[in-house]
Amino acid sequence: MSPALAIARREGGELLCSPRGLAWLLAAAGVLSGFALLLVGSTELGLLDNAQVVYDMAGLTIALGALLALVSGVDAVAGERERGALLPLLATASPRRSIVLGRLGGQALAWSAMLAISAPYLWAVGSTGQNLGAALLGLLLFGTPVALAAGAAAMALGARLRSARAALLASLIALLLVASPLLLGPSLRQSAIGQGFDAVNPFSGATNALDAMVIDGQGLAAQGWHLALVLAWWGLAYAAALRALRPPRRPGEEIVA
Amino acid sequence: MKASVPLAVLALLATLGPAVPRLAWAAPSAAPPASAPLKVGLAPDPANPAAPRMGDRMSFHTTLRNPASAPVGGVMAWLTILRVDAGHEEAIDLEDWSANKALTIPAMAPGGEARSDWTLRLISPGTYRVLVSAATRAAPVPAVGASETFAVAPKPVVESRRVLPVALGLPLALGGLLALRLTMAKGDDDA
Repeated sequence: MSPALAIARREGGELLCSPRGLAWLLAAAGVLSGFALLLVGSTELGLLDNAQVVYDMAGLTIALGALLALVSGVDAVAGERERGALLPLLATASPRRSIVLGRLGGQALAWSAMLAISAPYLWAVGSTGQNLGAALLGLLLFGTPVALAAGAAAMALGARLRSARAALLASLIALLLVASPLLLGPSLRQSAIGQGFDAVNPFSGATNALDAMVIDGQGLAAQGWHLALVLAWWGLAYAAALRALRPPRRPGEEIVA
Repeated sequence: MKASVPLAVLALLATLGPAVPRLAWAAPSAAPPASAPLKVGLAPDPANPAAPRMGDRMSFHTTLRNPASAPVGGVMAWLTILRVDAGHEEAIDLEDWSANKALTIPAMAPGGEARSDWTLRLISPGTYRVLVSAATRAAPVPAVGASETFAVAPKPVVESRRVLPVALGLPLALGGLLALRLTMAKGDDDA
């Protein structure tokens, strides 16, 4: 078994089978349940179109998946460093690329669990069923790069910052900023700043693609720019994580020093 | 013997006389209550959707006019929404439908007019008619303005019977799995 696969299995197993990982998934399910119960409990929300509700639920799923990957990414580097577990891993013969890929593989497994959890919620709120396929496809194609980019960027931050707490705080603030399209609808982002932000923000790319596919019923073929945007950010974040965890060029430069 | 019991009751009441209080409903009023001397005009907003459906908003404009030669005081106007589908006739609870439920006008001069707007949020499908009634302090029988009927089309919205099992069941299942995992971990530690 390749080192990357072995690390991914261990990481994914910890995320999905450990009490801590299960507690995270339970918390994510609790958030989705809260939103779903608000929809049936509030007359105002209950009058939203099915397509709008499915879009909102899909956006929430991406945010939760990104949050899960982000916490996992910070913990995978900064947390392990503080627990003294990172140095033994870096000292092995495993290439750094395998270590990064392995960690990202574990986050991908966690994101898969998030997708699996969100599917029944999407089915439950999308009573007509006409938007369900588009939402699941959108989540898979656009949510996966966003969640994994968040995880990789958090690993890079965890390696750069000396404290796990600082890395977590910085990551959460960054996530709050990039996930702002969830709170500010497209009509509130029509200024030059808003449009510029939308043009480069991966979260905007994912939510705008979901908006087009789920609410407007556009095809996937029309979402090329959005797909390119989220994939570019995924690649950038991966490169940043790889660079942050590169082997030391000089003695004492290692991130665990 | 049996017939003597009612007679005895009547005799007892007769002896009590004024000590028995007179019930309010037992005394019919001599004159019917006065009708409000008002004219109520009700018109839909031209911007209302031509084919409204659930979730849309509609506005209606009311003109209250006092055509009498005397001023009127204590004018009260209120909104009523009636569902008029056959077999489903009912007066709608305004709670979710409108924040504008009623208004008061302290006084209206002879020939005076007052305008008001009523905005509705269309909550349920069906055929409806909007009424605005106006009465005064001295004339409680309202003058009424009525709209044409309009149909509210349904749209697919969240169904609670699909949401509740998922929203409650999934966290319960995950919580059960977590509890099982914690129990197993505790068992391993004890061993």
